[in-house]
Amino acid sequence: MPDNMIMMKQIALYGKGGIGKSTTAANLSAALALQGFDVLQIGCDPKRDSTRMLMHGSFIPTVMDLVRERGDAKITLDEIVYTGFHGVRCVEAGGPEPGVGCAGRGIIATFQMLEKFGALSGDVIVYDVLGDVVCGGFAMPMREGYAQEIYLVTSGELMSLYAANNICKAIKRLSQRSKSTCRLAGVICNSKNMPREEELVTEFARLVNSTLVQYIPRDRMIQVAEIHKKTVVEYAPDSPQAAQYQALAECVMTNTHLTVPTPIDIDALESLALEFMQV
Amino acid sequence: MPSNPSRSNSCRFEGCTLTGALTVTTSVRDSVTVVHGPAGCAHHNFSLLHSTGLDHDCITVPHILSSGLLDTEIIFGGEKALGQAIASAVSRRPKSVFVLSTCIAETIGDDVTAVCGSGWDVPVIPIPTAGFLGGSFQAGVNNALTTIAGMAQPCRNDGGINIIGEKNLEYEVEQNYAEVVRLLSLLGLPVNLRFIHNLSTAEIMGVGKASLNILRDEGVAGVGERLFRQCGTPFIPAFPTGLLGTIAFLDRTADACGVQSRTAVLEELAIQESMLDDFSDIAGSCISVDHLMNGCPDYSFIHDVTEALHISVKPEGTRVPLPVSAPVGTAGVRRMLHRWRRAIHA
Repeated sequence: MPDNMIMMKQIALYGKGGIGKSTTAANLSAALALQGFDVLQIGCDPKRDSTRMLMHGSFIPTVMDLVRERGDAKITLDEIVYTGFHGVRCVEAGGPEPGVGCAGRGIIATFQMLEKFGALSGDVIVYDVLGDVVCGGFAMPMREGYAQEIYLVTSGELMSLYAANNICKAIKRLSQRSKSTCRLAGVICNSKNMPREEELVTEFARLVNSTLVQYIPRDRMIQVAEIHKKTVVEYAPDSPQAAQYQALAECVMTNTHLTVPTPIDIDALESLALEFMQV
Repeated sequence: MPSNPSRSNSCRFEGCTLTGALTVTTSVRDSVTVVHGPAGCAHHNFSLLHSTGLDHDCITVPHILSSGLLDTEIIFGGEKALGQAIASAVSRRPKSVFVLSTCIAETIGDDVTAVCGSGWDVPVIPIPTAGFLGGSFQAGVNNALTTIAGMAQPCRNDGGINIIGEKNLEYEVEQNYAEVVRLLSLLGLPVNLRFIHNLSTAEIMGVGKASLNILRDEGVAGVGERLFRQCGTPFIPAFPTGLLGTIAFLDRTADACGVQSRTAVLEELAIQESMLDDFSDIAGSCISVDHLMNGCPDYSFIHDVTEALHISVKPEGTRVPLPVSAPVGTAGVRRMLHRWRRAIHA
């Protein structure tokens, strides 16, 4: 293990599909890079669009694409790692076509290959993972030696909180293993502009034994930046929205509040949603 | 998950559906069996079948092809690899191809039936297996037999007898078959075919020609029922065991075939009496049943033997071995008594 691995921060973003994990991850990576950190972002979703905004709109070849075409013996590191905005290194795991094979196994194979190449290096690794931890493969980033800090990305919507709560269950289970270093590092609220949303997510975070680390308001600037195939951090660095991601980046780098989550039951979750919802 | 019905038959019958089904499909001599899974699944079973053949003084090279799944196929799906394996099997010009699947093929959800159905030049028949996920060894045997029974065509009853579901890995498979043939010949009944033991694909089609099916044991009852529904053939549920069981078998088989059993029964009783005379030297001994020697847990079949030879069974008696499964017919009892004699005179 290289010396710098000791200091390396490995974080993973989990949350319901469509909640904005990839947008958050890409903007976070961009913000971290602007703050001078050497960042590696790994997209762990067969949809392969995690790093697209960092790569100015291009879909980079995925590790699994190369394995499928050539087998894993003839692949080199520079074919799977692409440098995007401000030096952020980008990897997409990729996976099988929808409906065949085993995407979870694809994630495991990607990690084995990245390990083999010694690609897991830098100041920060950001893992952007599929919405639901559907099998052991998608829990791979939480395993020993990978992400120690898990951030949940959620809005105030019940189903989004439900997915976040489920991920808490996975973290709790994995954190009970003897050598596990995986902990919940915080909740990021990617707002849907619901009334009292920040309060609701703050309370949810408290109930699962964590904290709300950043409230990211809904902003049209995100869509404008995406049309220009950029992260908002790159497209409008002086915008209030970019400032949110800069704040998130600072928070991530200084955060030491790591917990074993306490997932809540569905009744408690529904009561919580009802309490904050305007009926 | 699978449950093994017999805890004692650990030697050859503890495998998964794949092993069970292979004992059937590799007995179709002009077929090739494709195992859809990693090479190891085919390799271990090939080794088992080959070494069992050697035990029977027979060098067999089971016709097994593996789709050779690797990590890449596990991730992207193995249907293409299966298609290639079937194409390779078909290119060898077999009369039929059987396709069995393994745990991992089932886990990743490969559609084996769909690949088998995509227009091959020879019948390509998927057998429900899926390794251990599909159940036990016996489930594999039954699934193979019932699936292959489905290939049979309706045909005219010609009075022969089918032997159904022989345990092809059994040490005494040939002796047991010979004994049933001998008993049937006492009734003047010929064998139609052994379903499935060293058959050709064309012969399988004639399984419906028999007037009676004799099943190896209760484990393949479902196959007997399937053939009854499909071809209307009644069945006897098991090979004869023990002395009284052998006589009862003659009566029952004669009844089912509408022939007289009296002469055959008298003849067999005389054979049994002469056989027991041969063992007069161990008459009146005291034995104990040795459970450590892979004995069948239900040894009620020895009662009529011990009674006939006035042998007492007591814990302090000489330990004698029991066969893995109950001895078939009078000849099976004779082999058992030979082993007892060696133990008693040791």
